Amino acid sequence: MKKSKQPRGKAAPSQAVPSRTSGIQPVIIATKNLTKIYGKKSAEFKALNGINLEIRRGESVAIIGKSGSGKSTLMHCLALLDAPTKGEIFIGSHLATKLKKRRVNRLRNKNFGFVFQQFFMNARDSVLSNVELPLKIAGIRHRERKRRAMEALRIVELEEKAKSRANDLSGGQKQRVCIARAIVNNPSVIFADEPTGNLDSVTGARVEDLLFQMNKEKGITLIIVTHDEDLAARCSRQIHIKDGKILSETASTVKGGSK
Amino acid sequence: MKLWDIIKSANSNLLRNKGRTFLTILAIFIGSFTIILTSGIRTGVNDYIDVQLNSVGGEGYIEIMPKAMTEIMSSQMSLGSSSGPQEYNPDKNSLEMTAISDSDLKKLRNIDGIESVKPSQQISAEYIVSSKNKTKFVVTPQALPSDRINLDIATGRLIDINGDRPEINILPGYAEALGFGSDEGAVGQTVRIGVVETATMKTREVEATVAGVMNKSIINMGRSWVNVALEGKILDVMYTNLPDSYRDRVYFATAEWDTSLGDEGLKRIKDDMEKLGYVGMTFEDQVGMFKTFLDAIILVFTIFGGVALLAASIGIINTLFMAVQERTREIGLSKAMGLGRGKIFLMFSVEAIALGFWGSALGIGMAYLARAIVNPIASDTFLKDLPGFNLLQFDLKWLAGLVLLVMMIAFLAGTLPARRAAKKDPIEALRYE
Repeated sequence: MKKSKQPRGKAAPSQAVPSRTSGIQPVIIATKNLTKIYGKKSAEFKALNGINLEIRRGESVAIIGKSGSGKSTLMHCLALLDAPTKGEIFIGSHLATKLKKRRVNRLRNKNFGFVFQQFFMNARDSVLSNVELPLKIAGIRHRERKRRAMEALRIVELEEKAKSRANDLSGGQKQRVCIARAIVNNPSVIFADEPTGNLDSVTGARVEDLLFQMNKEKGITLIIVTHDEDLAARCSRQIHIKDGKILSETASTVKGGSK
Repeated sequence: MKLWDIIKSANSNLLRNKGRTFLTILAIFIGSFTIILTSGIRTGVNDYIDVQLNSVGGEGYIEIMPKAMTEIMSSQMSLGSSSGPQEYNPDKNSLEMTAISDSDLKKLRNIDGIESVKPSQQISAEYIVSSKNKTKFVVTPQALPSDRINLDIATGRLIDINGDRPEINILPGYAEALGFGSDEGAVGQTVRIGVVETATMKTREVEATVAGVMNKSIINMGRSWVNVALEGKILDVMYTNLPDSYRDRVYFATAEWDTSLGDEGLKRIKDDMEKLGYVGMTFEDQVGMFKTFLDAIILVFTIFGGVALLAASIGIINTLFMAVQERTREIGLSKAMGLGRGKIFLMFSVEAIALGFWGSALGIGMAYLARAIVNPIASDTFLKDLPGFNLLQFDLKWLAGLVLLVMMIAFLAGTLPARRAAKKDPIEALRYE
């Protein structure tokens, strides 16, 4: 792990892997020399250039960088949505880069939850059926699906909107539905790509609170791609990416705390 | 993802764009409907013919004609032979060629499996009349060649073929026209048949007893059947003052064969006849010619339907390509959440199959509606004289087969868009605007 600089001086220097609770948690995602190259020889572009990373269970990690820095590519690789050109990704004890597609799909379905800046909801479907989607993909029966989706909607306090059309919700409500969708399968990791990017500060704060609440109460690891400094600061750890490399790492003292 | 969920979501996805889905289904419907209707007519006609064959046709009965006769008939039908002028054969003149000689009759009788051969003469009559009223009606008598032919008798009984009394089975309508009041009233009554002497052109009448009244059918072709005794009396009048050799000339014959030999035996019998220079035709053969003609027309319409289905399947491809394009982000999201390529392929394939299913199901529904409307109208108008003829008839197994076939075609059409959907890269798909 790289030595951290302290670009904003908010975080305390720390060599140890930060953890939510006392006692060291197991590594949940790790990468070794992760490299992603786009284009052919002459027009080669290294989006990721030898990333070594370890993320432990229950951490909240912010991946920060300017656009084109490679932060999104890093998240896609960690979420097994994209295959690296070189290097290895470990999910728990599995070497994910060697797993069969089927296993990878199952892994993503069972262990990961996704929250995107643009929400990505099926606009014409009901809120409930949007939240049910990961369970539907998992092949869970209708009754159980509904029960768990309602439970997830209760957590994000949108139970009464279950029957509404997704399109009829406000932006903040949509993102809360997306969080419900991300937690409905009880994942161990939530990947959030600019989760507050399309929201005003008040609704954005509510969404952030929800994400950290999940981190705290359910022990779900958060991996948040953002260029919002305040959101990054609320995470227990900040990884700064530039030109496909880890520029620096910092750890917050106020882990997952409120602003 | 469970198959049932895939089927449900495929149908609800189709409902997302009702207009487009409806138009695609309409295209499939047009193709299936055309095919179902033409096949329905075919089944209707064939069913009727089969019923008629069972009630009117005869098992074990075969008509024999000199080959030269059929050749003349077919060369006339094809506007002259394409093989050029035929060389004259001095051994047989044209009358000998088209007649059956005594020695040939003997040879035909000796064919293995033939039980009896009866030479037939063409008889003709001018009119039929009764003593009840004086109006004369045109009649076409024909000698019943074998009692193996079942006539569809409505009232009374079949004529006694070899009985001494001259008897006739008349067609429906004649009883009333001749003044008997009803079919029952005609049975056992005497009628007179006017026959022209060929030599003198004078008309004389012969008497006959009405044995029974037949039902109308296409296979009767408007003929009234007479027994051997009446046939003889008609021939007596026809050939009055003509030499016996004239009367004895035989142009066709009928034979009875041993039905226990089956189709194989029948084929061999026909081959043996062919070697002797004769063509043997059963009732089924004669009807078969009509069926072949009908099948050719049906085939043309089925091809039209097939072309329509082909066009419809291009519609399916188009519709699904649009759906894949529209739902790119949804596909990307589902893939990110762990939906496999196979399942995505299946989702779009099921949508294509559903289009095929609904299109052909609509075709069947409409075809049944058409049957409910068309059949009564047809029976009251142009099929009025053919009771029991239902123009449109559907075979359930055949319909199920058609639905499966259309679903299969739809599936094949859907593979192109479904493949495109399955191959989408989730990240690219999520970035798609």
